[in-house]
Amino acid sequence: MSYHYNEAFENPDYHLSETLEIDRRRNSQENLFSYQVTYDSSLPGSYGEHSGRGQNYPLDIPMASMRHSSEYSEGLPQVNVLRRSPYGNYTDNLSFEPESELAYSPPSTFHSPYTHSISNEPEDSFIRRRNRRPHDEIFMTSSSVFEANPVGKESRSLEETLVENLASMSTSERIKAIQKMPETMKKKREIRNKVLKEITKKSRHRSTQLCCCPHCMQGIAVSFRRFGNSVSEYFHLLQLQQKTLKVIGAEFGTSVLSYFIFLKWLLTFNIFSFLINFSFLTIPQFLAAESNNLSFTGLELLTGAGYFQQTVLYYGFYTNATISKIKNGPSYNMQLAYIFTVGLYFVICFLILLFSMAKSFCRNFLNPQAFSGNASKLLCTWDFNITNEKAVKLKQKNLSTQIKEDLCEVNREVLSFSVREKVVCIVIHFASWAASLGTAVAACAGVYFLSTNNLELFMKGHRNDLESQAAMLVLPIITSVLNAFIPFFYSWLGRLERFQTPGQHIYVTIVRNIILKISIVGILCYYWLNTVAASESQCWETLVGQDIYRLIVVDFMFCLLGSFFGEFLRRIIGTTVCVSLGLPEFDIGRNVLDLIYAQTLTWIGILFSPLMPGIQIISFSIVFCVKKVSLMMNCQPPRKVWRTAQMTTTFMFLLFFPSFLGVLSVIGVTVWRLKPSEGCGPFRGLSSMYAAVSEWIEILENYTASKWVVWIYHNLITSEIFFFILSTSILVIAYLYWQIIEGRKIMIKHLQEQIINGGKDKMFLLEKLRALQMAKQTPSAPGGQGQQRSSSSYHLSWQPAQQVPDYPERAYDRNQNASYNEYPYAAGIMKGTGFPQGLEGSPCSSAPRMSEAVAIALRAREAAQWEDEDDDTYP
Amino acid sequence: MAPNVVPMDYTKDPDVKLPMQLIINMPELKENPFKERIVESFSEDGEGSLSFNDFVDMFSVLSEMAPRELKAIYAFKIYDFNTDNFICKSDLEKTLNKLTREELTAEEITLVCEKVIEEADMDGDGKLGFADFENMISKAPDFLSTFHIRI
Repeated sequence: MSYHYNEAFENPDYHLSETLEIDRRRNSQENLFSYQVTYDSSLPGSYGEHSGRGQNYPLDIPMASMRHSSEYSEGLPQVNVLRRSPYGNYTDNLSFEPESELAYSPPSTFHSPYTHSISNEPEDSFIRRRNRRPHDEIFMTSSSVFEANPVGKESRSLEETLVENLASMSTSERIKAIQKMPETMKKKREIRNKVLKEITKKSRHRSTQLCCCPHCMQGIAVSFRRFGNSVSEYFHLLQLQQKTLKVIGAEFGTSVLSYFIFLKWLLTFNIFSFLINFSFLTIPQFLAAESNNLSFTGLELLTGAGYFQQTVLYYGFYTNATISKIKNGPSYNMQLAYIFTVGLYFVICFLILLFSMAKSFCRNFLNPQAFSGNASKLLCTWDFNITNEKAVKLKQKNLSTQIKEDLCEVNREVLSFSVREKVVCIVIHFASWAASLGTAVAACAGVYFLSTNNLELFMKGHRNDLESQAAMLVLPIITSVLNAFIPFFYSWLGRLERFQTPGQHIYVTIVRNIILKISIVGILCYYWLNTVAASESQCWETLVGQDIYRLIVVDFMFCLLGSFFGEFLRRIIGTTVCVSLGLPEFDIGRNVLDLIYAQTLTWIGILFSPLMPGIQIISFSIVFCVKKVSLMMNCQPPRKVWRTAQMTTTFMFLLFFPSFLGVLSVIGVTVWRLKPSEGCGPFRGLSSMYAAVSEWIEILENYTASKWVVWIYHNLITSEIFFFILSTSILVIAYLYWQIIEGRKIMIKHLQEQIINGGKDKMFLLEKLRALQMAKQTPSAPGGQGQQRSSSSYHLSWQPAQQVPDYPERAYDRNQNASYNEYPYAAGIMKGTGFPQGLEGSPCSSAPRMSEAVAIALRAREAAQWEDEDDDTYP
Repeated sequence: MAPNVVPMDYTKDPDVKLPMQLIINMPELKENPFKERIVESFSEDGEGSLSFNDFVDMFSVLSEMAPRELKAIYAFKIYDFNTDNFICKSDLEKTLNKLTREELTAEEITLVCEKVIEEADMDGDGKLGFADFENMISKAPDFLSTFHIRI
């Protein structure tokens, strides 16, 4: 019935108007009774027959249409453009917004004679509506564009537009848009089917004259996609850890879970590297393998020497020959295969790391400068993963203690240190930094001297087999001991220092640990590249590979021991001997750093022992199981709030920056600068590993067919100018982006100010209007039916006109990105203050004039405010 | 959960609804302090009974794949206890009580709620609208990973 009251439906603008939306929503949701009453009573003549039917009014219709409205809005942000109005200045038009709202809002406290008669049914549906409403209104705020009409026909046409719009999008965009709709699955499916139908209709339309070829292609594409989907589903089923992850998440929360996800990620990463190396290096090598005449004793598993020396595990075993099984058939050049596999592997690694880091950064650091404390702590903190009763209780307890602590801090205000205390603080920081750096340097020096001595001992003679093997294990054990125990010293140092925030504490400890680990790895690399490579051993690459193998194995064993002593024994002590200690917590930071250390070693090892990722796969899988069991048996959930997402990004970054880039430089030096050993490996006899590539290019120069490869090599890869241009352009682009970001930051600041001002303006305006209304109301005594009629006729007459000033306001708000829910807020205020009653008493003719007056006042006020601000910011 | 509620011939009468009591006892929700609100926000009649479609909706929103916007909308609904489209002080108080097992004193609760509103309220109306909530979420990077139920 509602379409009767409005001829303006013919006007296309009207459908886009927010005024309509406000109007109708107010009517249909907030105040159902007056909605009907208004129309019925105001137009008794022409619509009399409907007024009688008002009681049986099918209340579901507006509701249904509201639901439609929510669908439209998300999918069609582009229609915003239509909302431009001739009134250019957005801010000025703020003033119109409340006015128009007020003018239309039927009195919420108003009681009509009809209320009683229709009370049963509407009330029922009113309740229902309340439940749906958040849906709709939230939507409006997020990006409402279209407003549905109460009439089925209208909404259908809108739905068609929506479907058309969706159909014009690309597939992935469409899927995203449909996913974003806060609608039921059924509805989404319906829309999707409609869209698909539309698309097929269109494409058929286009391709009728052509042939069925595109159709076939489409069919193939669809079946291909289905195939892909089902394959990925099977892969999903294969992931056995999924359940483990769920259990861990349920009992320990997301923070501990992030460690396991990181571990799983590294595991898949290593599987990938293993597959690459195995298929491109090891399988060809098997074809050309010589028999292994060394005996296997079992101790080799620990030392990596002996039997393994003559296997595909190490660089030294690979041949430098060209492998060809068939005479004159295609051949496989081992040198090139080796260098290109490793090179490409590192390029792929680089890209994967870069992209996953960027993704995680983009996801988690959207707005790093404003990390709000309490609010998000309260509303975003609950971990919906947790389903274990004990964990829930613990988490609740932790939260309440935390809140209490925060309150204490708030009450205490900021601690103001005196000058002396500050000096003491700085001295302590300085001392602890000196101590930690000193320990790192001392550890490095120790490792270096030990390793050189060890090498001498090793080179001098193979006296006793067992003794020399034991000597081999000294270096890795010492390194692992240093790696395991110095972090405890660091955390003790950290406790001595008084940090302002726990976050600072965590970061400082992590930085110190990473300095230690990376410098130990660095000194080992120096030893390998400088001392071992220069030594007159038969095959120094294999020696380095063995060293790395031992380091990895011993580190793995220390990891197991660490979880045994650090967690199992600690639990026993904590529960029996010294109860005050309690259960140990799972130290995420330390464990993740161990993983990064192990991964760094693996990367360095890839060149010297291509199957290192395979060993790391085994060790990581065992670590996964052991840590899981140890966590379940021994630990309790961490007490601190651990900013999971941020920490994950940090770990990713650490894996990238010191670790991966360091490895790259080590590999670079090895490939370009060092002379490969004469007696073994694929590069024997060459001046450097890279010489294999230059020789290959020289050979290629003789063939005309592969001139382009030579050209690329000479003009791009070996030319400095190309790299100069490349790096310059990257720097320029980075600088541009940086500037853009800076500009946006300033923009955001301004817009936030604007939002705040907008809110203030509205408050001010409402106050003013209410005051005016009150003033008007007192002289004119309120009357029942007649008054109501006047208000509703006013309502009708002004509707089409009022929409015009309304859109700029909305568009303006939308520009601010923080979509901004002015309507319900205004409504709430009016409801609370009983303001609409006042409106009713006012003669309708005065309203527009009043609004103008208020608009002028507001404009003046705003101008003054902006001037003030300008003065403040630019003195 | 209750196979006897679902008739054998499901195709004829697809409007079978499970009552809230059954759903909140499933292991994924059982210990969640917001379980009633979760179920209510996803039920079409608002009383917590879920049809199969509602049920699927619920876990699709709480899954990993759901976009941030969608999650934000439903999180807002869940925290909006009195369904007035605002997270107002009473909603915050309820949230706080659920989060802390009512261990805080009334004073502390009011203080915390005031702080939260003061901090997150952009337009100064004394309660949090959806825009405020969304804005807050954009600053809380953990939200995406925590508003997520693994099944």
